Amino acid sequence: MKIRHLVWLRRMIQTFFLCLFIFFLVESRLSQDIYVDYSIAFSADNDIRLDTPVTFFFKLNPLIGLTSLLSGHRFIPGFLWGFGVLLITIFLGRVFCSFICPFGTIHHAIGSIRPALKGDRMIRANQKTPEQKIKYFLLLFLLIGAIVGLNLSGLMDPIALLFRSMALAVLPGLGAGLRSVFDAMANSDIKMLNLISYGAEVLLSPVFGYNVKAYQTAWFIGLVFLIILFLNRIRPRFWCRVLCPLGALMGIFSRTSLLKLKKYPDKCTNCNLCVKHCQGAASPHPNQVWQSAECLACFNCHNICPEGALAFSFAWEPKLNRKPDIGRRAVLGSILAGFSMPLLGRLDGRMDKVADSRLIRPPGSLSEKDFLQLCQRCGLCMKVCPTNAINPTLGEAGMQGFWTPRLIMTQGYCEYTCSLCGSVCPTGAIAEITTKEKIERPIKIGSAYVDRGRCLPWSGNAPCIVCEEVCPTSPKAIYLKKKTISGPGGKKLSVQLPFVDLKQCVGCGICENKCPVKALPAIRTISAGESRSLENQILL
Amino acid sequence: MKIDRPITRRELIRKLLRWSGSVALAGAAQWPLYTLNDAWGAGTKKRFIIEGFGQTDGFSVKDLTKKVFEAAGGIKRFVSSGDVVAIKPNISWARQPRFAATTNPEVLAAVIELCQEAGAKRVRIADNTIHDVRQCFAMTGAGKVAKETGADLVYPRSSLMKKMKLKGNRLDVWRVFTPLVEADKVINLPVAKHHSLSTLTLGMKNWIGGVGGSRWSLHQDIHQSIVDLAHFFKPELTLIDAVRIMTRNGPSGGSTDYVAFKNTLILSDDPVAADARASMLFGLKPQSIGYIHLAQKEGLGTYDFSKLEKKRVVM
Repeated sequence: MKIRHLVWLRRMIQTFFLCLFIFFLVESRLSQDIYVDYSIAFSADNDIRLDTPVTFFFKLNPLIGLTSLLSGHRFIPGFLWGFGVLLITIFLGRVFCSFICPFGTIHHAIGSIRPALKGDRMIRANQKTPEQKIKYFLLLFLLIGAIVGLNLSGLMDPIALLFRSMALAVLPGLGAGLRSVFDAMANSDIKMLNLISYGAEVLLSPVFGYNVKAYQTAWFIGLVFLIILFLNRIRPRFWCRVLCPLGALMGIFSRTSLLKLKKYPDKCTNCNLCVKHCQGAASPHPNQVWQSAECLACFNCHNICPEGALAFSFAWEPKLNRKPDIGRRAVLGSILAGFSMPLLGRLDGRMDKVADSRLIRPPGSLSEKDFLQLCQRCGLCMKVCPTNAINPTLGEAGMQGFWTPRLIMTQGYCEYTCSLCGSVCPTGAIAEITTKEKIERPIKIGSAYVDRGRCLPWSGNAPCIVCEEVCPTSPKAIYLKKKTISGPGGKKLSVQLPFVDLKQCVGCGICENKCPVKALPAIRTISAGESRSLENQILL
Repeated sequence: MKIDRPITRRELIRKLLRWSGSVALAGAAQWPLYTLNDAWGAGTKKRFIIEGFGQTDGFSVKDLTKKVFEAAGGIKRFVSSGDVVAIKPNISWARQPRFAATTNPEVLAAVIELCQEAGAKRVRIADNTIHDVRQCFAMTGAGKVAKETGADLVYPRSSLMKKMKLKGNRLDVWRVFTPLVEADKVINLPVAKHHSLSTLTLGMKNWIGGVGGSRWSLHQDIHQSIVDLAHFFKPELTLIDAVRIMTRNGPSGGSTDYVAFKNTLILSDDPVAADARASMLFGLKPQSIGYIHLAQKEGLGTYDFSKLEKKRVVM
């Protein structure tokens, strides 16, 4: 195979995996056509599940597998894929970065379709810099943190980061924009526009759905994503070179790679084309020492060199490549940070003393300690939640739990017959449960309480039974007592007062969601009573 | 041109400009808002009520539905060839049919097939559900029915909720699920079940699923709200599914313990009469239910069955 063909093959594979990633991203939702499967209506034990393996890229990711193993002491389902990728890295170097990683492909495309820098400036930007050791620092910090018990890897992991940004910021942002256009067209007086909007809406619904999606802190997730993309203008593939902890892991493993860059300095005319096209800033110039740990194995330098002074080839002799340039200080610093961060994270007492009342985890979540050891904050559960209840946390779970999932009942509620979130969680932080289990055990995620000052019948303002009406348990966890009370102006009002039966309540939050008292509903759900915790309980 | 809310001057100018620019489209731009046919107010024709009852075990619900329509003079009396028919079932809860929280899918399928036989251009199933729409479609069997019969299953969404003037005693401007008002013919297809505030939810109460907006505040004056909505939506027919009825813990239910088999279908062109007859299946007096009483008072229909043409079909 000629090297030119190999580069084209790489581009094709990159495109394929990027499309596959986007396909899985889009498919991570309850299908609009779910009703095509009839069987659900008539059999009691059938659960609604996704047909596509949406967690594929998470399985492929050795960093997620490794940190889950170190902190949660468990092999995540499909971890062998990730270790297979490591095995490939051991023999071929960082080919994952330049062939498979969808985030890498996005950076690659941004940097090469319309480069921000020209000529000498590009050559200077592609020189290896000491900053590139930051990624090793981050990797060691994450790994040591994971061993001590704080798994933050999902914040930095490229797959989790890309999924989170796309699912929670990019798609909902575009979706909300399109929806406002459709609504405006549908409300216009011109029949033609109505029809166009109707058709476009149906066409786009598989991607954006029919409802506007909103996520707490999504603007921040989107901002971080945009900044990371923008960094490509300062230096191509800034993220991959400087920040990516997965790239660092691969860099360390690529030391044994058999695929090596052979240099022939006597042929070199010093045209610097190789440096200009280098993706990893791996010093491809024949007069420099090749940095195998930085090399993404994209074959650009080999392809572009007009003199044949560079060539990738297999070298079978057992000789290690150059050590990744980590530096002893960075190692010491990352060890120190890795040990202190989990301790700092516990200072707010969320894990050891009191749980936040607003921290309602998805049904099937493990106990808080185990949950934080496994959750990657990837946003898959949030994307898949049909009612948009699952949101990333801001401060509800403390620093350690930043961007972990939490249900916001004013935004959605936990559908009684749904157990999708657990079925897609890539690490099992939310255990996969069946709907039957969820209803029969039952799995409680919290409990509701009535705010009598705000409640319409309790405050004598109006009759209302909405919370009781929508309560899904059987018998209902909200029951009513008839009473005549005096309302405003001393008017006698015959109402039914709602009460919560804590034994029955599962904390699904539909009462809070449908309560006509908006913004701060008169019935609210708190985490107390959640089955996953031994401590956060109310009843004996 | 749609006039459904107070218009500011600026808006008026904008509307006029747009209006003059699209004279050619004027015909198409007419909102179907609402010159209603005379049959309603006039009350000249004698209305009917037909009760279908399945006596034997394992009777075919589908056949019973068809028989009931035959007794009413055949579906062709109500649906003409080329009509767009909107059917409003109650599929608000993601519950399987056996819990009687939602309209029986067999009845739904039978009605759709009848409409198609009568030459309807399109049959739409439209309900603004309470639970997640997709799960409702799947669990209630409405999705299956739509798939098998080829009817459209309309996904309720913000672009289909348009502000309209209801002109009710209590409800003024409200968001309405448009497929239900834009259709040529509307058939109300509720299930009969218990409700903790309005005692029962039958035909007229089913229209709460025809509006969007903050529909949860309707419960503060539920009977007047129901009657206002029943005045606004003008179904050609009301067919109450009382094959299974939910006797308590309604309207969501969730256990077969609350379900009773009545094997009954009630078809009427009088929404009040249909509800009144269905309420008797629960052992209640029609006048004891606030909205039925109020609806008769407001002249929407009657629960005095002697004024109606009565029929009974037994299978």
